Amino acid sequence: MQPDDLAKALAPRLGDRLLGVETFVGTAGRVRFRPEAALDLFRAVRDELGFRHLSMVGGIDWVDHREVFYVAWSDDARQYVILSADLPADSPHIESATPVWESANWHEREAWELLDIGFDHHPDLRHLLMPDGYAFHPLLRSFKLHEPEELEVKQRSV
Amino acid sequence: MWLNMGPQHPMTHGLWNLRVKIDGEMILDCDPEMGYLHRGIEKISEDRHYNEVITLMDRCCYVAGFAWEHLYIVAAEQALHLSPPERADYIRTMCEEFQRLGSHLMWYAAFVQDIGLMSPFLYAMRDRDLILDLFQSYTGARLTYEYMRVGGVRSDLPPGFGDRARKVLDWLDQKFVDYDRLCLGSTIFRERCDGLGVLSARDCVATGVTGPMLRSAGMKRDVRKDRPYSVYKQLDFDVAVADGGDVTARYLVRMEEMRQSVRILRQVLDWLDHHPGPVLAERLPRWLGAPYAPQGREGYLLKRNYPKGVGFSSVEEPHGEAQAYVVNEGGEHPYRVKFRSPVFANLSAARHYLVGYHVADIPPIMGSVDICVGEVDR
Repeated sequence: MQPDDLAKALAPRLGDRLLGVETFVGTAGRVRFRPEAALDLFRAVRDELGFRHLSMVGGIDWVDHREVFYVAWSDDARQYVILSADLPADSPHIESATPVWESANWHEREAWELLDIGFDHHPDLRHLLMPDGYAFHPLLRSFKLHEPEELEVKQRSV
Repeated sequence: MWLNMGPQHPMTHGLWNLRVKIDGEMILDCDPEMGYLHRGIEKISEDRHYNEVITLMDRCCYVAGFAWEHLYIVAAEQALHLSPPERADYIRTMCEEFQRLGSHLMWYAAFVQDIGLMSPFLYAMRDRDLILDLFQSYTGARLTYEYMRVGGVRSDLPPGFGDRARKVLDWLDQKFVDYDRLCLGSTIFRERCDGLGVLSARDCVATGVTGPMLRSAGMKRDVRKDRPYSVYKQLDFDVAVADGGDVTARYLVRMEEMRQSVRILRQVLDWLDHHPGPVLAERLPRWLGAPYAPQGREGYLLKRNYPKGVGFSSVEEPHGEAQAYVVNEGGEHPYRVKFRSPVFANLSAARHYLVGYHVADIPPIMGSVDICVGEVDR
């Protein structure tokens, strides 16, 4: 599958919410989309293009905006595809992929706590790697490694 | 009632907490609680030179350091527009396959101990030591190697390495027969493990489970075959598959994988014997050498004019499919490094293979998952 094939298959579904498909070395391509198209795109990619296996969800803090990216694998095409959306830095949030790919659950929990990306309608959005009540988002560029923060950690109720 | 198994529990093999909701002996629900080993490796990487990140990779998974070094190196080289000499690629493949043997032997030892067998544990640890001896002979370390470099590997193999390695492989080939007799030949083992912790292929795909767990459910999927990286395209080997998706099937897949690793290693060692050459690319940017700060004007200019790039790699780690995403924004440190740990996904599916079984089944099931908490928490 080539980037052009992806664009051809997705354009009728998404219209102008599809921002373009770029070449990305070693994958079928990198699909850039508007965050409001999230669920439509996920369903189309999984059901129509056959990318049934979501490998990971990650984020990048570009300071002026935040990027969230998804990597999915297709057994038929034997290829990866990368989906990526830019979110505004003041309130970064996107629809959760968990209803489409169950495997997104933990990855989104991680992206939420480390990068402060909100995932709407996520079934279980709570801390995964950090303790409950941890108020910082360590993977943001504003979180400096060399300035120790004062931590106040709430006790987890059992 | 919620029961805490961990953070210190013989079943956990690392520091994590498995909370299980039980009614009597029956498991109704579970909730793995991670983060006890979170060191912020992705964050620290943003503050390190490209080669310094390799040190962190060894600590990502402490039984499969080489696999993680390889994963990061492939992505970093793609992001930096560099490629290694062919010999370095073969040496990396050799490292990864020996690491797979070491990791699977460690899994075997831990797993059989979980179900109460002590002698096989000692045999596997003894044989794993032979592999660690080999690692020590060319990296100087037994666990945290720091051997691979962006653009190649640190040093060539010592003289006579091939023969010593082949001796270890011959020894292992014999011992696999004993391993199988000790486990598969035992009625107690079969009755304990057959039909336990079943995870269907459909659930595997939905929950992102990869590696031996996925192959034990009958799906023939291996990154080394499906999307060959490094030199795997030139090597002849089979993908281990089994049916059933239960604990025994996972055992069968891992044992077969070890045999295939031996097969791969024989080919790689033969190639290395006949193809001497450089193991580190020439003309690497000077600022890349980790211990050396950019020197003078030349190094500074190189660094500033260096083209940006993004690297994505996917590697069949002993536990499953690991991925790395490295963003190079032209600085001397990576702008962002993101890793996908296979155990992270395998563990997030815990509800699917634990619910419906008994509390006493948890150690063999979790043992068959092969957990390495270092790479889950990173």
